[in-house]
Amino acid sequence: MTATGSAPRVNPVYRGRSGQWAFVGHRVSGMLVFLFLLLHIVDVSLINISTELYDEVHALYGNVVLRLFEVGLLFALLFHSFNGIRIVMVDVFPGAVRRERRLLSAVVFLTLAAGIPGGYVIMKPFIDGTLLG
Amino acid sequence: MTATSSTGERRPAVAGGAPARARRPRQNFETWSWFFMRVSGLVLVFLALVHFALTHIINDVVETDAAFVAERWDNPLWRLFDWSLLALALLHGLNGVRWSIDDYVRSPAWRAGVKAVVYTGSGILFAYGTFTIVTFA
Repeated sequence: MTATGSAPRVNPVYRGRSGQWAFVGHRVSGMLVFLFLLLHIVDVSLINISTELYDEVHALYGNVVLRLFEVGLLFALLFHSFNGIRIVMVDVFPGAVRRERRLLSAVVFLTLAAGIPGGYVIMKPFIDGTLLG
Repeated sequence: MTATSSTGERRPAVAGGAPARARRPRQNFETWSWFFMRVSGLVLVFLALVHFALTHIINDVVETDAAFVAERWDNPLWRLFDWSLLALALLHGLNGVRWSIDDYVRSPAWRAGVKAVVYTGSGILFAYGTFTIVTFA
């Protein structure tokens, strides 16, 4: 066997740690918001066909399953917004990349700090029981 | 640290000395696409979060029925707000999807096919959404 023939198989895996998780989160949240936007164009546009049809379809957004979906949308929007600001900061301020981990912690903290009370407000009719009554 | 060249442009000072007359690189489509994502993203933070707060937090989602939309769209500025959100969010999202397709769809034929479907679908929905906002009476 020659030296070149026995070269070890290398399977390089990029391990970007926190920055890579931020990248994955940004892609996934962005894709979810984009897909919801496409659906949202269709459901709002029903209003031009008939307002009754719009109201009928729109009432679905009030049920528990879709309310949970809206809480998910809120978290996706918040994470994508705050992480997007982090990306702009890293691009613009030379010092930001050195504090990259701390910035990501701030993104996660702000997402939770705004998302949890927001999610509570969205679920409140269900929590109060008025949704079923 | 930045240095100012003879043409007055600011560029990073490089250790070891960059060529004194380094030209600003030509701006191609991808440069503008990067710039658009940063600017539209910052505008969308405001537009999208205000929109979400109005339709899910300040008002409950079940209250945002056809009458609510009619009252809001009585004001052309809200139509402009909603259309700006539609246009910027769709373009921003579409460009993000384009980057993802380029990253994950490696075969040129598949890449062209997936892009054709995504661009056509988004284009139709953009036209349909614009039609809704403009013509609703």
